[in-house]
Amino acid sequence: MTEPAEVETTGRFLVLLQEDAIEEGVAELGAIAGFDPNSGDLDPETVQVFPELGVAVVSADPNLLAELNGAAERPGPIQIVEPERVVHVFQDDTAAPAEEVEAAADESVLTWGLQAVGADVSTATGKGIKIAVLDTGFEKNHPDFAGRAITTKSFITGEDVQDGHGHGTHCIGTSAGPRKPATAPGYGVAHEAEIFAGKVLSNAGSGSDGGILAGIDWAVSNGCAVISMSLGADVPAGTPYSQIYEIVAQRSMAKGTLIIAAAGNASSRPARIAPVGHPARCPSIISVAAIDVNRAIAFFSSGTADKIGQIDVAGPGVDVYSSFKLPEKYARLRGTSMATPHAAGVAVLIAEKTGARGYELWARLALSSLRLPLPSTDVGGGLVQAP
Amino acid sequence: MTTSVDQVMVSVTEGSLPRVLNDLREAGLVVDTVLEALGVVTGTVEVRAIPTLLSVSGVLDVERQWRVQLPPY
Repeated sequence: MTEPAEVETTGRFLVLLQEDAIEEGVAELGAIAGFDPNSGDLDPETVQVFPELGVAVVSADPNLLAELNGAAERPGPIQIVEPERVVHVFQDDTAAPAEEVEAAADESVLTWGLQAVGADVSTATGKGIKIAVLDTGFEKNHPDFAGRAITTKSFITGEDVQDGHGHGTHCIGTSAGPRKPATAPGYGVAHEAEIFAGKVLSNAGSGSDGGILAGIDWAVSNGCAVISMSLGADVPAGTPYSQIYEIVAQRSMAKGTLIIAAAGNASSRPARIAPVGHPARCPSIISVAAIDVNRAIAFFSSGTADKIGQIDVAGPGVDVYSSFKLPEKYARLRGTSMATPHAAGVAVLIAEKTGARGYELWARLALSSLRLPLPSTDVGGGLVQAP
Repeated sequence: MTTSVDQVMVSVTEGSLPRVLNDLREAGLVVDTVLEALGVVTGTVEVRAIPTLLSVSGVLDVERQWRVQLPPY
């Protein structure tokens, strides 16, 4: 079992049960953990069973863990046992160290990221296409966005859409910011797209699935072709993907909205490759890895570590210059959070140029990606390319 | 004894909204939002009532909501 040392756990354990033998699995759990599965009213502090998921959560002391692991190793209904995790997200999504500011590319006109995805030589602009960025909101007073059509909505109780964090304004800038701001370089991929800024993370950078799903619903209802989500939670390898996000993503795609999400920043390459986080690990959500200016995989970029969460494409995600909240106005950040809006912006350009939506848009984005001499487990089909 | 409640998300079959809402409420869900475009309902429920929600006709899945957190700069 793969288990990163830094993961916080709750003292409870997640138990994956064989799909067609849930009752048998619960009975075996009861025999080990000392409860009667037929008592009809199990204390949820002791055990919770999610039969649709084939997952049980049990409280157990370390002695029991040994027995549970033993059961998982034997043939039988108990398949996987993992410590339940406390969620902390994308911890390396941080400002770049000063030395990284010296990029190996000429950024006098456009950022290296825009050049890497070929946005500089594309005739597409994103005009007429709606993109939703679900994040920490938007800096409403940013001069680079004066005159742009921007629809905003906050899904955070007690906070308006104004971005008190900066992360959301940065992601909006990369996906749909200007090419010719007052001070160079230009940094927006789909610079004429119609922006929908949904605030699903608070000014402190936190949020929950309820707000994120409400933001997705808002974007779908408004006919956004693309949703960019630079958010998520890191998970241990083998964690089942969320069935609910998977259904949501399938339904969104059927209505013409493609969801693109950050893979996560949990790797410490080359020593450790962390699995793709939640919700990017859902099969119907595009999972984006991060590369640097030399087209090497970023050391933090989560990767394909098991059969569940797979990297689909890669985007520029190191030393990324974009808009930020005031008074800073601009920032250079790194993270798969920064790679994701590059991919989302490219998807918008493809949507404009080809009219493709949903799964056809996914296919065009993936198939037109520039193949890289890197493992597909790290970069999927490669570096996204503007049409 | 305190009652353990949790924020959950519930996916339902296509076309079952809004009919399923009454059944979900009867099963103990305090509805927060109804996301019609997605066929998803979010809300709060006693943890021990989650299996009851799962047994409501039209319900596909019930999952507890995760929290996500970006790091400070």
